[in-house]
Amino acid sequence: MLQKKICLLGAFGVGKTSLTRRFVESIFSDNYLTTVGVKIDKKELSVDDKQISLIMWDIAGEDEVSAVRTSYLRGAAGYLLVVDMTRAQTLEVAGNIQQRVSSEIGDIPFLCLLNKIDLEEERDVSEAGLQARQDAGWTILRTSAKTGEGVEAAFTELARRISA
Amino acid sequence: MQRLPAKITDSLLRLVSSQRFLAHLAVDQNEHLIRAGGDLAHYGLADLRIGNPAAEQLPFLEGMLPLPETPFLIRSLQMPSGRIADVHFFGDDEVVWVILLDTTAEHDETQRVQQKAYDMTLLSEREARLIAQLEATNTELTRAHNALAESREALLVVHNRLSEELREAERYVRAVLPQPIAEPFTLDWIYLPTAELGGDSFGYHWIDDDHFALYLLDVCGHGIGSALLSVAANQTLRSQALPDTDFRDPAAVLNALNPVYQMDRHNDLYFTIWYGVLHPASGTLRFASAGHPSPLLVKGTSDRHGAVEPLKARGPIMGMTPNARYKSEQCVIEAPARLFVFSDGVFEITRPDGSMLEAETFQELLSRPVDPDLSELERLLKFARETNGNDSLEDDFSVMRLELTPSVG
Repeated sequence: MLQKKICLLGAFGVGKTSLTRRFVESIFSDNYLTTVGVKIDKKELSVDDKQISLIMWDIAGEDEVSAVRTSYLRGAAGYLLVVDMTRAQTLEVAGNIQQRVSSEIGDIPFLCLLNKIDLEEERDVSEAGLQARQDAGWTILRTSAKTGEGVEAAFTELARRISA
Repeated sequence: MQRLPAKITDSLLRLVSSQRFLAHLAVDQNEHLIRAGGDLAHYGLADLRIGNPAAEQLPFLEGMLPLPETPFLIRSLQMPSGRIADVHFFGDDEVVWVILLDTTAEHDETQRVQQKAYDMTLLSEREARLIAQLEATNTELTRAHNALAESREALLVVHNRLSEELREAERYVRAVLPQPIAEPFTLDWIYLPTAELGGDSFGYHWIDDDHFALYLLDVCGHGIGSALLSVAANQTLRSQALPDTDFRDPAAVLNALNPVYQMDRHNDLYFTIWYGVLHPASGTLRFASAGHPSPLLVKGTSDRHGAVEPLKARGPIMGMTPNARYKSEQCVIEAPARLFVFSDGVFEITRPDGSMLEAETFQELLSRPVDPDLSELERLLKFARETNGNDSLEDDFSVMRLELTPSVG
């Protein structure tokens, strides 16, 4: 079976751990528990008739004093760049991370996940901001770890891209 | 660094091993696990198989090997047992050594501190967003308030202009009404519309030397539309603008008036009307009604008690049915007597307790002698206001009073 490592990156509190839990265990909790270090999960899925085992590195979020350690992406086939729709600055953080990964690791497949779409009334990320990223070649998918909307599709799409 | 004596390094190793649950793995250049030891069970790694591919058994190794640079450290990696370990990689010839040291306590403490910091940061970010939203809302409200003030001023200008136009229209409606007359009989009136413009109108004039017409009409509703219709109908009668109509014949007048004022051509407005023609020489009064309240004839003079007689005539409301036909009635008035022609607002009065004034009470009032210091019309208005309990009446108050004295005729 094909085994691939992917990473979840983004600012702190954007929902990386919740997305992973939703994908792996179909569970969501409203209680925010910050991630320190790295959590690794594994899930097998079928993509285009191919069985693939995803090794998911849920890496502690970036904040003002600690940046994501791009060395953890060593050997990763792709990554998910997570943005919190209710915090516009998390899109900027995602942009910075993507640039660092691109320069230090190389251009590996990635998807940007606009998470927390269930909180539409608290939306802070502008369509113009997203459009600028899309114009730069990003693929942006909308997800809600809370409702599960778009989560399976996002992981599956990345799996498709890295197994192609 | 100077090499330490073996007994010291051994002692340090034992210390680390006991406090940090030291475990070790070795992976060859084919990425197979070739050695495993230490407290592997502590990390949930007791079932590792020597000789098998390392990454299949240890997912954190997927893609990591070979490492170009060592030592390499993965901090605070959650292990299968739930414990947290710092994972150290060391290269030694063609073997990579992986050392696991438990850092659960440090991880939990870091997580506790970081959790507080992040919670505070998220809270302050949320607060900042709320403040920004409030400021934006406040700006929008201020703008809306200013726009509203401007609109209000513009509205006030329009309102003042409309009010002036309404007053102008009311002056015109009043100007249409004839002046009271004193010879050869007395005819006076009160006109008090409930709105600035009412639906009542009336008039009287000599048709020829022997016949005197008087009429009162009441258009449904109040306001400009009703007033326009009442003035138009009034003008039609005053100018005798109904072709081939004998204006001395009340039924003929109403029969001719009805097709002209059908409600489907007059904004769904209709009206009641009483039209009478007096022949003063004989005291003969011919009259017809289109759904209008019957006028009251009070016999005798106003300083004495007088019998009250309703002058009844039947006919459908004006403007509702194109083919309506009206019939004239007739009576002979013996002087002295007073004739009261009025709209329903004169007697359909609601008392403060919600009850309605009875027709008998109204007639009884007219039958009573009038105080010398009060005219009969003033008494009627005073009574209406007292009954209503308010100077502002609910409906238009229009009444004509025709007094015949024995000298007439």
